Amino acid sequence: MGLPREFHEQCRRLLERDFLKTFYQWTSEAASSVTNRIIESDSFVPEVKVCTAALDLMLQILNWDFRSNTSDTKVNVNVFSSGVRQDVDSLKRYECHLVQPGSDWRDVLILSGHIGWLLSLYAALRPKFSCEGYWLDCPIAVSARKLIVQFSSLTGTVFLSDDGKMHERHLLQLLSGILEWVDPPDVVSKAIENGKSESEMLDGCRTFLAIANVTTPYVFDGLLKSIRPIGTLTFLSILMSEVIKVLITSNTEEETWSWEARDILLDTWTALLMPINTITVNTLLPPEGIKAAANLFGFIVECELRMASASAFNDEGDSDYLRASVSAMDERLSSYALIARASIDVTIPLLTSVFSERVTRLNQGRGIIDLTETLEELYSLLLIIGHVIADEGEGEMPLVPNAIQTQFVVNSVEADKHPVILLSSSIIKFAEQCLNPEMRASVFSPRLMESIVWFLARWSSTYLMSSDGIVEKILDSGHHYEYSSKKALLSFFGEHNQGRIVLDIIVRISLITLTSYPGEKDLQGLTCYMLLHSLVQQKHICVHLVALNSWHDLATAFSIEKTLFLLDTAHQRSLAQTLVRSASGVRNSEESSQYVRNLMGHIATYIVEMSSKSDFKNIAQQPDILLSVSCMLERLRGAASASEPRTQKAIYELGFSVMNPILVLLEVYKHESAVVYLLLKFVVDWVDGQITYLEAQETTAVVDFCMRLLQLYSSHNIGKISLSLSSSLLSEAQTDKYKDLRALLQLLSSLCSKDMIDFSSDSIETQGTNISQVVYFGLHIVTPLISMDLLKYPKLCHDYFSLLSHLLEVYPETFAQLNSEAFTHILGTLDFGLHHQDVDVVSKCLRSLQALASYHYKETGNGNIGLGAHAMGLKDSSGEVQEGLLSRFLRSLLQLLFFEDYSSDLISVAADALLPLILCEQSLYQRLGNELIERQTNPNLKSRLANALHSLTSANQLSSSLDRINYQRFRKNLNSFLVEVRGFLKTV
Amino acid sequence: MSDEEHHFESKADAGASKTYPQQAGTIRKNGYIVIKGRPCKVVEVSTSKTGKHGHAKCHFVGIDIFTAKKLEDIVPSSHNCDVPHVNRTDYQLIDISEDGFVSLLTENGSTKDDLRLPTDDSLLTQIKDGFAEGKDLVVSVMSAMGEEQINALKDIGPKN
Repeated sequence: MGLPREFHEQCRRLLERDFLKTFYQWTSEAASSVTNRIIESDSFVPEVKVCTAALDLMLQILNWDFRSNTSDTKVNVNVFSSGVRQDVDSLKRYECHLVQPGSDWRDVLILSGHIGWLLSLYAALRPKFSCEGYWLDCPIAVSARKLIVQFSSLTGTVFLSDDGKMHERHLLQLLSGILEWVDPPDVVSKAIENGKSESEMLDGCRTFLAIANVTTPYVFDGLLKSIRPIGTLTFLSILMSEVIKVLITSNTEEETWSWEARDILLDTWTALLMPINTITVNTLLPPEGIKAAANLFGFIVECELRMASASAFNDEGDSDYLRASVSAMDERLSSYALIARASIDVTIPLLTSVFSERVTRLNQGRGIIDLTETLEELYSLLLIIGHVIADEGEGEMPLVPNAIQTQFVVNSVEADKHPVILLSSSIIKFAEQCLNPEMRASVFSPRLMESIVWFLARWSSTYLMSSDGIVEKILDSGHHYEYSSKKALLSFFGEHNQGRIVLDIIVRISLITLTSYPGEKDLQGLTCYMLLHSLVQQKHICVHLVALNSWHDLATAFSIEKTLFLLDTAHQRSLAQTLVRSASGVRNSEESSQYVRNLMGHIATYIVEMSSKSDFKNIAQQPDILLSVSCMLERLRGAASASEPRTQKAIYELGFSVMNPILVLLEVYKHESAVVYLLLKFVVDWVDGQITYLEAQETTAVVDFCMRLLQLYSSHNIGKISLSLSSSLLSEAQTDKYKDLRALLQLLSSLCSKDMIDFSSDSIETQGTNISQVVYFGLHIVTPLISMDLLKYPKLCHDYFSLLSHLLEVYPETFAQLNSEAFTHILGTLDFGLHHQDVDVVSKCLRSLQALASYHYKETGNGNIGLGAHAMGLKDSSGEVQEGLLSRFLRSLLQLLFFEDYSSDLISVAADALLPLILCEQSLYQRLGNELIERQTNPNLKSRLANALHSLTSANQLSSSLDRINYQRFRKNLNSFLVEVRGFLKTV
Repeated sequence: MSDEEHHFESKADAGASKTYPQQAGTIRKNGYIVIKGRPCKVVEVSTSKTGKHGHAKCHFVGIDIFTAKKLEDIVPSSHNCDVPHVNRTDYQLIDISEDGFVSLLTENGSTKDDLRLPTDDSLLTQIKDGFAEGKDLVVSVMSAMGEEQINALKDIGPKN
């Protein structure tokens, strides 16, 4: 405790090198010495406890995070990679712990027959489970099984580098030991259903997972072949089918053993098949394994569909549970997809036929029977297919999955016979039918539409008009064979082929989901955020979009039709953003500006007219007016956040035209916090998108506007107290206030950025706008609103202090001109921030202090007044002398450094702040130092402290200038000073 | 005083109904809604489906803006809900009478004397203390569906 980390590292290395193995040997000897007694006795003997404890200790030792040999393993990677995988990074996901003791351990673990002993111990225990004192989950059995699983994860240099032979033998031994826990699967699972404990089964599965993590699929498959006629992969597939069968027949809500076993086995498959995304299937899996995967996937699909149809009618309460398990389901589907891709040439046709069969069933049963079950089946099926044929982009452009790229060899003339194309086309054709009102009413339920929209979004980001340039490049590069499948796919749905038609269908479907499914927020959310949003990300798709009639219809519906006002307001914002962004596809900037004007013009006009109505104040609070004003503002905000250089002018004009109306609205809706927030957010987004482009004159207008906005907001809110009986409504009010202020701070920050990044043609100074003054003025208005209570919101606190430290660093001179009230307030917040728990906030405060103090020091050095009166001591009204700010902070900073707890990361920042403070207030520093020394009673410590204080300011040739080198020196000094004295200062 | 009351009644009804219909799906958190005949502020909205392939419905949790009682309601999201017309008006506080009524100055210069002080002690003290200190107070009065209540106060004294 209290010792440096390095010391602990040394201890751990020492323990690992010198003692762990010895401990292990002792334990294992102790365990083996009692083994015979246990095996011979038929009833419970005390030795069992000894043995259990020994096994537990061995497990603990093997759980040690072995370090000593990590460098060895890296060297040996090539030797092992033939049989044993070393790619630990990809394994992290499965939280599987690899046991990698070094080669020193070989004699104990491998050569001594240790494994054989353990397996025979367990084998001897098994028949005893019926005896008194033993049962399947008795401590000794549990420990023994855990240890066996642990042994399966053994890897690294503990094995000889003989092409993995030794490792294979080791695994085989373990595998044959555990096989009877799970084999034959059907018998075992029946026994469990009849009341046997499932722990052997689960531990068996865990062993498979452990083995899969340390071997390649080939080795994995081969292990079982030497003792059984089938390979391990085939066995795994049979085992998993059995588990799934049990899972769907039991079909209960709570998590059963089959649930857990399924997850473990899925992880096993994932561990085996993960590299399929980089290596071709044929080199990864033996043919038998591919077949096993195909069978398993077929069975999985069948079962998933059966589960879907069985669950079609249970709802209610279920929904919360479902939402919680969505991510779990996503993970499960990705594992399924891996299995499917292992045998892609079988699974795609399978999926196609299952899909078209369900569609036929829908068409036949339409209007005659209840289709809910089929709908639910289709829902699951679409999710599965989506996962199989496309990857999630996670913000990047997803590629066509490797298996699909390489497994199909298709002649380009017959592209439309490509299985993936067949599958995609049949789904799109099915989806298109929702455009027909009659079909829509009878078949396309909101939930089915959700899966369709989800599928289209996922599919289109991989396949639709995908990066055509690459296709051309591939053509040139001559890898015809290798990429022909990909090329056929991409060009089929490319710009010059079916792409446009499919795009049109997608847009029309989107329009339908937005207009014909009233109130279905989830569906519309998917459409706005996933589907449409991803379409406009690529410019070449935008080019086609803006040329489509359907897109034009969408835009028209957006700007004039009433129905789209019924969408969730956040969705409207996203839609506005999407539509404005698509303007990047319009040929030239003139036309794209016109496009934006057409789109948003109505909205601006509405706001202008509304705000100029004479009776607006009276009608404003009516719910219908309130709703439409909120919608309009959300749309404006969406458009503002889609600012691009091309449409910037149009969006500026848009914002400019509503400037005054915005102020009117702010006045009228001052009590309607939701509207106020929308207003502020719109202004924030608009300014943020525009500020860097604005010319001087425009900047002046915008800045004036912002200041008026700030003043108005502050006049409404200063001194306001909300009253309510309900505490939750009161806390809502507090939260609203916090959100507003955060928006205002963002506004100020983006105004600040004008000084940093400016694309306009002339300098803003020409119009006499001084950003720093403006921002200070803004801060002046805002700070009184920021109470200490509000600073407890971490995000607000963060924003506030980053703005503050930025301001103080860049424009300390304007800070000095603030009036004393605002000044005191800011200092108060700095003081608060200095004692904050968040390291980031503290370091920002320290940086602000550094800026202030160094400014003052430099200015006074040049004969100016620097911070002037603020730095001096003042007499306040009650006649007490108040310290100047610098002395005050010097005091509190020293207090912090010497006596309080803080993160050691802060020391260097603190040093940077301390140096200028000391230089400014030399005499005070001397006094404080002397006080400190005087207080020390122990003469020994006293002299140490005096020396340390002396060297703090004199060692390393510290001079009294504020340059980089000097700061660095002082950092070093402070560090050694703290090391020297903090220990006794804190304890005394 | 009876004159004043009459005046208020007619103002409340002037050209505006007490509630408006609005699609349930468009009502968001922090909006208003009528639940069981009471004007509420929505503090929670969640959506679910009637049956897996049925239509969405919204589950609202609201807090009565006058009594602070919690109320809940479930409405299909394509159906209409009643949304109360919630109005807030600022008045300057002139006097607090012994019997628990306040006297407020309206925009057109007359007084409004029909409003009771809040009964809750803490709210009451906030208003009374502020008034006793001689600050210029502006109270904002929230009214909806024929009821009204003081819901905020603001000190405009020293600033302007």
